[in-house]
Amino acid sequence: MNTFYFTQLGRTGLVAVATAVLNACAPGQDTPTPTTSVDVTRYVAVGDSYTAGVSAGGLTRASQEYSFPNLLARQFQGASREAVFTQPLLEAGTGSGFIELVDFPATGLPKTRRVAGQAVRRTIINPGTCAGPDTVRVLTRNNPSSTLPQNLGIPGLALSQIETAGLGNEGSAVARAPFNPYFERLLPPATTRTYLQAVTDVAASATFFTYFQGLDDLLPYVQSGGQCGGRYDSTAFRNQALLTMRTNARKVLDRLAAGGRPGIIAKLPALTTLPLLRLGNGTALLERFSAAPGVFITVGNPFRPAQVRPITSRDYVLAPLLSRVGQPTAVVVGGATLMLPYGLDSRNPLRDADVLDESELTFVSFVLNGYNNELETLARDVYKMPVITPDGNQRALNLDVVLFDQVAGLISVGGVVYSPELVRGNFFSLDYYTLTPRGNGLLANAFITAINKAYRANIPAVDVNSLPTVAQ
Amino acid sequence: MRPLLLFIVPVFSGLTASANGFETGPQGARVLGLGGASTAYINSIAGLSTNPGLLGQWGDSLTRISIGHLSQFRRSSFVGQDTYRRTDQELTVQPGGYFYATHGVGKRVAVGLAVTMPYGYHTKWPNTWEGRSVIQESQLSTYFVQPTVGFRLNDNFSAGVGFVYAYGKYSQRRALGQYDDPAAQSKFSSSGQGYGVNVGLYGRTGETLAFGISYRSGLNLKMNNGKLTTAGVPERDDSLYPSTADFKTQINLPSTLSVGVSDRITKNLLLTFDFTLSGWSSLDSLKLDVAASGTAPARSISTARRYEDALAFRVGAEYQATPKLTVLGGLRYADTPVRDEFINPEFVDTNTLGASAGAVYQLGRLALEAGYAFDYGQRRTARANPVIDRVANVSGTYRTGTHMASVGVAVAF
Repeated sequence: MNTFYFTQLGRTGLVAVATAVLNACAPGQDTPTPTTSVDVTRYVAVGDSYTAGVSAGGLTRASQEYSFPNLLARQFQGASREAVFTQPLLEAGTGSGFIELVDFPATGLPKTRRVAGQAVRRTIINPGTCAGPDTVRVLTRNNPSSTLPQNLGIPGLALSQIETAGLGNEGSAVARAPFNPYFERLLPPATTRTYLQAVTDVAASATFFTYFQGLDDLLPYVQSGGQCGGRYDSTAFRNQALLTMRTNARKVLDRLAAGGRPGIIAKLPALTTLPLLRLGNGTALLERFSAAPGVFITVGNPFRPAQVRPITSRDYVLAPLLSRVGQPTAVVVGGATLMLPYGLDSRNPLRDADVLDESELTFVSFVLNGYNNELETLARDVYKMPVITPDGNQRALNLDVVLFDQVAGLISVGGVVYSPELVRGNFFSLDYYTLTPRGNGLLANAFITAINKAYRANIPAVDVNSLPTVAQ
Repeated sequence: MRPLLLFIVPVFSGLTASANGFETGPQGARVLGLGGASTAYINSIAGLSTNPGLLGQWGDSLTRISIGHLSQFRRSSFVGQDTYRRTDQELTVQPGGYFYATHGVGKRVAVGLAVTMPYGYHTKWPNTWEGRSVIQESQLSTYFVQPTVGFRLNDNFSAGVGFVYAYGKYSQRRALGQYDDPAAQSKFSSSGQGYGVNVGLYGRTGETLAFGISYRSGLNLKMNNGKLTTAGVPERDDSLYPSTADFKTQINLPSTLSVGVSDRITKNLLLTFDFTLSGWSSLDSLKLDVAASGTAPARSISTARRYEDALAFRVGAEYQATPKLTVLGGLRYADTPVRDEFINPEFVDTNTLGASAGAVYQLGRLALEAGYAFDYGQRRTARANPVIDRVANVSGTYRTGTHMASVGVAVAF
């Protein structure tokens, strides 16, 4: 009996001592509880390629999982159990097709190839586009197509198209008609519903929104070196384009911010922060080819004859073309065919379509800046959004300041450096403008910081380094 | 003497900081129990490493040996500033030990040897923790060998000088978080040596009062044989991170200036007081100079430390309970040399408040000694600025606790 008593006591004591010692070994700390003062249970995301989760030139189930709205929604769930978020997920696999890395040589210009998409139902060749025949890929329909998802990000959707009837109708998938296969797959067949109507429907039951739209309005012009996407060189066109973007943004935001619904309005990043332009900056090119007599570009517009001039620090060669600069190509000079390095000889200048020159950039930036100013005005004066920056001035999210400019100057997150460099930078994906999953994580964190400030919330940030570096 | 003590406190408090860093604690079971206040304490020859001036006091015909084991468990928890996630360090034991011997030669001279492991740490975070690309594991171990000679100047005063040879081993492991492969990591390991001196003075100013003062020079562990191994890097970046490379580094260990007083209050009760100023400001940064390997050029990985000199204040009490049993207790406060801006998960340090206890049981010529100490650390907040891309760090708060335990035997014959 006595022995039993001591054994029992000894055992209890041992356990107590061991527990006490181990607890003391790792001193306790309370973790903050995620909270939010605004209702984030039904969040709706409106936007274009970035919002949809396009990465490396394609949309796949994996890239959708790492879209910034989905990463954001996951963090919301920590603060609000009932929070749900639906996305128009593709079947697992290659989705709409994407770009994959083949080789990454020392030049820093990745060699890539396009992987065909398994979600492509049929293809239509549209001969009428500005840059030559274009392939339209019709995709498998989202299931169920009767309910719209909360992620309304549509790759390639321009603000100018939000009231285009039939944009999401397969019947419009013919040459020269406006058609968006990503919008089409969200809708039931044979509908004339517009994107604005879709936003209206989803917004009706939403409690929170993010709005990050407009980049896909301007990208066709940039990606074609000023050849396509509109006549931005004409003052009248520019003003009209800006007016359309402003008016339509207001139409969308009137639905989203109705009744004082909380949310975040994001401004567009400067085009020159995107690798599409940044990598081919004139200064960088002149440095790279300092041995050559110079780098020569063709500038002009349909009203003026093409003119050849040396590149300046304010001209940008489009990144996908960079690997061709300096390659010998055949040119006819005075009746004789010569092999001259492309772009490094005034007799073989870079084509107009391969360069976004200074004036083209000025034209398109005029629209972008005007649009960003309008968003700030709307946020402040019309929707009375809360302040989201510590300095107390901004009510629309300036992604340049909080993210893109910082990445351009390199940032270190938990010991991992993120840079605008492709592949090794882990921020931009191989299509030169959308983000990697980690880039989307940093973008989601920029929104979270803004939400925490604006709405006195405590939503934890995404551990960016634990996300994959490629979406596919 | 008490008014003098009261005078010393403000003088030392006026300095910007006080001592801790990666000291492994008092080097001996008995002095550990005493809280480390051993600059003027002659009841254990472990005082040899603290104050060589004590050596003259053991210049009688006896040979004294003290040997023991010492373990340090140092553990921190971390909560990410933005992620709200808590990570606890894995439980590691930094092993230590000590060996002391003294012997009198002639009337006024004694010689001694001290072998200690006074600096070191072992930090181990879970492999997948938030700061894995800053640090996963880091360990430093040092071995000090100090041959010492002591002189008895007269009945009341003695002085001593020791030569210190130090050997150190340093290793570090961190993830290469820019890659998807969780096994992608760099491992650094190196060893090296350094030299220094230790001098001290001991005196008695009455029947009950004694004082000691000692200075040990700083040490520079030069490590020229470092090996860096890298694994899990994708083929395209092989040229950036070759699988092996050489590197060099050096670690500065601080000088210490100690002042101590011991006062025999009653026949059975002895009190000791110590101030120690550690010259941690010699530790400016940890710089790993990686040599060129293959097509990868030489590079330098530098982590700023910018440690400050740091002060520690220790109080100890020794009470002879029975003729065979002596019990010990101690309290100490130590400032951290680590500034707020340079808090890094490789070695988390804070201002600490510590308590210790010990016991000595006499068995004839043999004394069995045991000591235990716990240091309670303040909460510390690290803020990493992402825009400074050269600095790898994580933002969050740390809490640290340290346990030290030691057992040993002392013999005089």
